[in-house]
Amino acid sequence: MIQQTSPEVGGMGHPIKRKEDLRFIQGKGNYVDDVHLPGMVYGHMVRSPYAHARLKSVKTEKAKKLPGVLAVITGEDLAKANLAWMPTLSYDKQMVLATGKVLFQSQEVAFVVAEDRYTAADAAELVEVEYEELPVLVDPNKALDPGAPVLREDREQKNNHIFHWEVGDKQGTDQVFQKAAVKAKVRAFFPRCHPAPLETCGCVADFNRATNKLTVYMTSQAPHAHRTVFALVGGIPEQNIRVISPDIGGGFGNKVPVYPGYVCAIVASLTLGVPVKWIETRSENLQSTGFARDYHMTAEIAADRDGKMQALRVKTLADHGAFNAAAQPTKFPAGLFSICTGSYELPTAFCEVDGVYTNKAPGGIAYRCSFRVTEAAYLIERVVDVLAQELKIDPAELRRRNFIPAAKFPYQSPLGWTYDSGNYEAAMKLALDKIGYPQLRREQEEKRKKGELMGIGISSFTEIVGAGPAHTFDILGIKMFDSCEIRIHPTGKAITRMGTKSQGQGHETTYAQIVAQELGIPAADVTVEEGDTDTAPYGLGTYASRSTPTSGAATAIAARKIREKAKKIAAYLLECSENDLEWEPGKFYVKGTPSKAKTIQEIAFAAYTNIPPGLEAGLEAVDYYDPPNLTFPFGTYVCVVDLDKGTGEVKVRRFVAVDDCGNIINPMIVEGQIHGGLTEGLAIAFMQQIDYDESGNVQGGSFMDYLLPTAVETPHWETDKTCTPSPHHPFGAKGVGESPNVGSPAAFVNAVVDALSHLGVRHIDMPITPWKVWNILKEKGVTG
Amino acid sequence: MALKIEKTFQVQEPIEQVWEFLSDPRKVAVCVPGAKITEQVDEKTYKGAIRVKVGPSITDYTGEVQIVRSDAQSHEIEILGKGQDVRGRGSASMNMTGKLQALSNGGTEVTSVSEVNVVGILAQMGSRVISEVSNIMFEEFARNFQVRLKQPTAPAQAQEGTAGEPKPISATSLAWEATKGLFRGGS
Repeated sequence: MIQQTSPEVGGMGHPIKRKEDLRFIQGKGNYVDDVHLPGMVYGHMVRSPYAHARLKSVKTEKAKKLPGVLAVITGEDLAKANLAWMPTLSYDKQMVLATGKVLFQSQEVAFVVAEDRYTAADAAELVEVEYEELPVLVDPNKALDPGAPVLREDREQKNNHIFHWEVGDKQGTDQVFQKAAVKAKVRAFFPRCHPAPLETCGCVADFNRATNKLTVYMTSQAPHAHRTVFALVGGIPEQNIRVISPDIGGGFGNKVPVYPGYVCAIVASLTLGVPVKWIETRSENLQSTGFARDYHMTAEIAADRDGKMQALRVKTLADHGAFNAAAQPTKFPAGLFSICTGSYELPTAFCEVDGVYTNKAPGGIAYRCSFRVTEAAYLIERVVDVLAQELKIDPAELRRRNFIPAAKFPYQSPLGWTYDSGNYEAAMKLALDKIGYPQLRREQEEKRKKGELMGIGISSFTEIVGAGPAHTFDILGIKMFDSCEIRIHPTGKAITRMGTKSQGQGHETTYAQIVAQELGIPAADVTVEEGDTDTAPYGLGTYASRSTPTSGAATAIAARKIREKAKKIAAYLLECSENDLEWEPGKFYVKGTPSKAKTIQEIAFAAYTNIPPGLEAGLEAVDYYDPPNLTFPFGTYVCVVDLDKGTGEVKVRRFVAVDDCGNIINPMIVEGQIHGGLTEGLAIAFMQQIDYDESGNVQGGSFMDYLLPTAVETPHWETDKTCTPSPHHPFGAKGVGESPNVGSPAAFVNAVVDALSHLGVRHIDMPITPWKVWNILKEKGVTG
Repeated sequence: MALKIEKTFQVQEPIEQVWEFLSDPRKVAVCVPGAKITEQVDEKTYKGAIRVKVGPSITDYTGEVQIVRSDAQSHEIEILGKGQDVRGRGSASMNMTGKLQALSNGGTEVTSVSEVNVVGILAQMGSRVISEVSNIMFEEFARNFQVRLKQPTAPAQAQEGTAGEPKPISATSLAWEATKGLFRGGS
C-alpha cells in the first residue's frame, strides 16, 4: 500500500500539473533547433532518388564552387577515415554515406556544409550523382526467392536473409494441432508505420579544437548509449564527448538509433572546427529514419469445442529494409514478440520469425512499444476473435474462458516469460460494464435486421515492459539497468539526475513525485535533470516503457539510501537510538512521541552544518537499478464503430480503455499518455502506412500521404483503471506510456471486422481506409 | 511508379498532314510542355530534355528519344523516351504509341497510349498527383499540337525543335488543376 502524502508534498497518486508544461506552452522549450552557437554552419543531405542503384560517380565540384559552401563530404571521403559504415544496434552495419551502391530511396549520399541552411540546400542540388539503376526488391515474400537480387554485397552470406529466430515447443505444438477439434487462423500484416514525432531528428555537433572536446546536442532518447557509440566508432576518448539531449519533441522510438546525419555533422565539425547543425526535413524523417512494424504474421490457434485454447503457432516474416537497424536487445532479434501468447493460458506454443532485407529504409524500431509487443498483442487479439467467430462464441466470453487466472501469478508462459502479476478478468469486466456490452450486442442484432452495420471490438492485451534484467537484456553489450542520482541541498531542496531522457512523458514531474513520496520533500522542491552525459549517471535511456520500471525504481532506491543516512542524522539530533525512530513522509519522530521529530529539511541542513561524528558530510545517493524481472501491464479496450455503407467510412462511436499499470505516480499524466497512445493507435489502424511502389518509391513520404490524426478525427476516449501492483518493483508500478498504442489497434480492427462478420469477413489489414471498407461492401453486395 | 495514360483528340487537318507532323520527333517535341530536342543522333534517335515542375520541385530530365516503330501505312508510331534528372532526382521513361485515323469530315483523330514510369522524387508525390500532372501535360500537348499543325510557318527555331529555354507548365495552374482533379474523381 502506498502511504498517501499531502497535496502540498505531491507524492505518488497526486494529479499534479506537469512542471515542464510551463515552458512548453509558452513556446520556451529548448529544442535542438533552438541551439545557436557562435560561428555555427549548416549541413544538408544529398539523398538517393533510387531504391537500388549502382553509384557510378559523385561529382562535387559545382557544389563546392557555390559561394558560402564550406565542404561536401561523400562516402568515398568517409571511407578514407574508415567511417563510411557504422554499426547498427542489431549487430549489422549501415552506410553513413553511400559507397558502391544505394539500397533505398532517400539513402544518404553526400553531406553539404554551408554558411547558411539555404546555401546548403541549394548546393545539395548541384552535387551531380550518376546512378545505374538495379532491380528493386520491395516485396519481402520474394526476398528469399532464388532469382531475387542480392542487396547486401558487403555480406559474406549472399542472400537477403538476416536471421531465423524461434522459441517454444515446435513438436509439441504441432502434435496438439494434429489432434485439435477446432483451429483458427489469421494472416495479418502489420504495416510499416512511422512514429512521425513533431520534432524531426537533428543535431548540433561542436568540436572545440582548443579543448579537443566534442559536444553534440542531439535528439536522442539514449544520450549515454550514443556517447559510447560515438567513442567506439569515432575513436574519440569518451571523456571528451558530451552528448546533450535538450527538450525533445516526441521520440516514440524514432530517436533511439544513430543516424548518418549525426555522424556527418560530427565529421564536418571535426574537419572544419566550427559547430555544424543538421536538422531533418519532415520528408527526410519519414523516408529515411527508423520506421516501425512491417511484420507479415500468421497465427493459428488450436482449441477444444468449448473454446478452451490448447496451442498457438506463429510464423512471421519481418521486413527490416536495407540494413538491420532495429533497436532491440541483443538476444532478441524479434524483440519481445514472444509475448504473443498474450493474456491467455496456453499450455503450449511455438513462434518463429525470419528477418529479410528489402530496398526500403532501415529500422524496425519500437514505435511506442516495448520491442515488438505491439505486433504480438495485435496478432493474438486478432486470432482470438477469429476463433470466437469460428466457434460462434461471444469474443468476451471466449476471452474470459481462457484468461490466465488471477491466482496463477506469477505465471510462467510457454514462450519463456514470467508474468509478474495480473487480473485480466477484473479489467475486462470493468470495461464491459462501463460500455454496456450486453445492450450493445442487442443493438447490433437489431441493426443488422435493418441492414445497418455496427461492430464491437475487444482487446485484452498484456504488455511486457521495463527492459530489463541484466542477465538477459543488453544493447551492444551494455546491460539494460538504469540509474538515478539524488542530491539534497542544505536547504532541503533536491536535484535528481537520471539515466533516462524524457521526450514528453513528464519525467520532470513524475520523478520528483517519487522523491516526494520517498523523502517527503515536496515535488515542487525537486529539480529533475536529464539528457546531459557530463552530469547524469550512466543509463540506457527512455523507450520500451522502461523509465518507471528502471529509473523510477532507481529513484526510490536512491531515496531510501538517503533516508537511511537521514535516520542516522535524525538519531544524532534527537539524541536517541535509530531503532527508536519512526518514519512518515517528511520526518523522523521518536516512537510514541510524535512531537519529538526532525523534518527532512532539518536533517538536510544538519548534513552540511552539524554532521554527526564519524559520518560523511552531505546527503546524496546514486542507484543503478537492475530489475529482477520485467513488468506486465495489461488492460481491456472496447471499441464501438458504425460503418457508413455508402462511403465505407468507419466512425468510432465509443472507446473505453481500462488500463492496469500497477501503482500510479501521477494519474493525470497516465490519462494523458493513454489519450495520446490511443490516438496514435487510431491513426495506425485507419490512416497511416509507409508504402512503396514496385520501383521502391516511398508512397508515404510526406504529411500529404502519411496522415496524422487531428482533434477532428479523434473520438472521445473514456478511461478507467484497475490496480494490480507489480510485486517486484519498489513501489509496485509497471509503466504505461505504450499500453494504449499496443492494445488499441486490435480493438479498432476487431470492431470493424465484427461489424462485417455476418457477411463472412474474418480479417482486414490495417490501415482500414474507407476505400478498403467500401470495396469489401461492394464485393459483399452491401453497397452498389 | 507506372502509369498508363490514354488520350484521344481530333484535329481538322487531313491524316497525311498530321502524320508528317507526328512522325517527326523534332516537331512533336516542341508541343510537349517543357521539352526540347537538342541533337539528332541518327535517323531514329534524338537527344532531348524535359523540365517538369510540380510545386516547388523542378525535375530536369535529359535523355534519348527513339522511334521504335513507324508505320506510314497504318499511321502508327511508337516512341520510347528515357531520361535522368541532371540533379539526381530520379528518372522517367515513356513508351508512347500514337495512332491516326481519318475522320469522315476530312479531319483526323489522334489516339495515344502512353506507359509512363517515374522513379525518384516526383514519384513520391503519388499516383494521384502524377496522373494529374500527366493529364495536364497531355492536354497542353494536344493544344500545342493543334496550334503547330495550323501554323506550318511558325518560327524556324521552334520548327527545328531547338528552342532555347523550354517553358515548363506553371506550378500555380498545376496545383489548381491537380486540386480540381482530386475533386473531379474517377479521372
